Amino acid sequence: MPSNNNQAINEFNQQVKPVSLWADAWKRLRKNRMALLGLWIVVIMAAITIAAPLLPLYDYTKLDLYHSNLPPSFRTAGEVALSTMQARMDKIQGMIDNGRKDLQPDLDKVKADYAKVQADMVTNPAEKRVYLLGTDYLGRDMLARTIYGGRISMMVGLIGTVTAVLLGILIGAIAGYTGGRLDNLLMRFVDIMYGLPYMLIVIIMMSMFRKEGASSIVILFIAIALVSWLDIARVVRGQIISLKNSEFVEAARSMGASSGRIIFRHLLPNTLGVIIIFTTLLLPSFIMSESFLSFLGLGVSAPDASWGTLVSEGVQAMELYPWRLLVPAIVMTLFLFAMNFLGDGLRDALDPQSKNRA
Amino acid sequence: MTKFIIRRFLSLIPTMFVIVTLSFFLIRFAPGGPFSGEKVLPEQVIQNLMKKYHMDQPMYKQYLEYLGNVLRGDFGPSFRYKESTVNELIGESFPTSIILGSVALAFALVAGLGVGVGSALKQNKWQDYTAMSFAVIGISVPMFVVGPVLQLAFAMKLHWLPVTGWITGRAGLAALVLPALTLGFPYFAYIARLSRASILEVLRSDYVRTARAKGLSERVVIWRHVLKGALLPVVSYIGPAFAGIITGSLVVEQVFVVPGIGQIFVQSALNRDYTLIMGEVIVYSLLLVAMNFLVDIVYGFLDPRIAYK
Repeated sequence: MPSNNNQAINEFNQQVKPVSLWADAWKRLRKNRMALLGLWIVVIMAAITIAAPLLPLYDYTKLDLYHSNLPPSFRTAGEVALSTMQARMDKIQGMIDNGRKDLQPDLDKVKADYAKVQADMVTNPAEKRVYLLGTDYLGRDMLARTIYGGRISMMVGLIGTVTAVLLGILIGAIAGYTGGRLDNLLMRFVDIMYGLPYMLIVIIMMSMFRKEGASSIVILFIAIALVSWLDIARVVRGQIISLKNSEFVEAARSMGASSGRIIFRHLLPNTLGVIIIFTTLLLPSFIMSESFLSFLGLGVSAPDASWGTLVSEGVQAMELYPWRLLVPAIVMTLFLFAMNFLGDGLRDALDPQSKNRA
Repeated sequence: MTKFIIRRFLSLIPTMFVIVTLSFFLIRFAPGGPFSGEKVLPEQVIQNLMKKYHMDQPMYKQYLEYLGNVLRGDFGPSFRYKESTVNELIGESFPTSIILGSVALAFALVAGLGVGVGSALKQNKWQDYTAMSFAVIGISVPMFVVGPVLQLAFAMKLHWLPVTGWITGRAGLAALVLPALTLGFPYFAYIARLSRASILEVLRSDYVRTARAKGLSERVVIWRHVLKGALLPVVSYIGPAFAGIITGSLVVEQVFVVPGIGQIFVQSALNRDYTLIMGEVIVYSLLLVAMNFLVDIVYGFLDPRIAYK
């Protein structure tokens, strides 16, 4: 007996509320505590980086050599600078007392700086700044740099992912839906691209086509997106092949739906789950790739900075000024952590029967 | 089976051809050239150099000539290191990278499988949680952070291992430990997660239940039945892992000052040393393609369900 209202009736004649795939997935995701935590971290970090221009941050490009390499502190910059200089003077004085007379000019220089900062304490508002997370070798605020670095890193991840997803969907859908020769050709091409050592090609592109300035980011986007759509294309193709002969597609076709409508209205929404999973896993991998290039000196160029550039700058000073490595490294790792947990959780939620869970 | 191997082998040819062609033209059409360094050379000198390296000829002729040379195994002279050929340069640095890469891969496979199996058998116990949190760290922390941190801890503070450097022979083993650990770490982590997940899946499968119902001992069930089935995803991951190790070695060789091929790769691209960079790309790609080929064949032996069509 068909029911009149929207509620389905199961074999026990009990009314149950129909549960959509998304509601079901959301329910499963909510049970996964790590994935939820990941979601919150991602949302909060994204919100902070988006709102960065509105936040009361110091200018991340402004240099102040009297403030270089200050440790994280709640005290004002002037005080911190004076105490680090004091420590340095004591150290040099000790070495001079041990017979290193040649260090006298260094001592005089630090003394002069000390006097300068001391005089500035009252007049210069910059001395009143508070560097919560310390400064880098040019006296730039690490907090502001890390947040703005996150902007660039997330943008690289996002643009790479969006391009990869769009290209992958397009090629995968065409190959899967048309089948035959075209499918064969496209998949052959994908196979060959898989054999490419793609990071090497990206490195070649970045080192040969890159110019200093804004265009380096554009080249980076092109290089990364060009080779990243392969997985999505394969997955979408597989999904579409398995669905294109199903009854609901036949029904749509018999009602005169065009191929485009069948693909976009009927087939692609069914592959959305897989696409979302891939998206969350692609994003951190792009951020990793960008940081990798930055470490090789082929990433974003100054004065812009990404998490990758900050970390690789920090590595060089890791022993003396550990916060310069720790601040960006912890923030970046936290984000990647959160993304990975979220991706795993989404995979479990959207695709409970998934074969290759890892 | 033989037919499959032959066909799979023949399919390597178009792949290599595309790689060589693509990188040749990508490199040639990039702005700048090998002689446009900081020092501006007189016009006449540049023309003579161009003539010497056959760069005054049309692009397609250079391409065909290069293709012919490569087929004969000759990568040509280096543009930057005037006294050596590309074959010599690669021959000197390549074995080092191979040693580093294979030790890293072996570590990733052995340790990854061990940890994966261990935590699957102790599912949801503290051992499992510890191992899997460790694995997520391995996946999320970039190599160029792991490397320097290991250097700081084990070389500079504890003095157990050398900081950098590369020595051949027995003493070199100690110098190999940190770079290989750094290089293999993310792949170890991924393999641990992968093998844990697939073992958990296989443990629930019907054939394992059958094996247990037959009264086999737990050890036989795990070693004979579970492990073999669970190995498949790991085997198919070896290809991507190997590709990752190749690129990762660019960073690791720089951090640990290892005189391998990765050290000169970025520099040769920046120098626009056309022949050297082409040679490196070809050698890397050959390795990668050969590895994927091997993995496919091993996969076929392990999984009788695959039909060789």
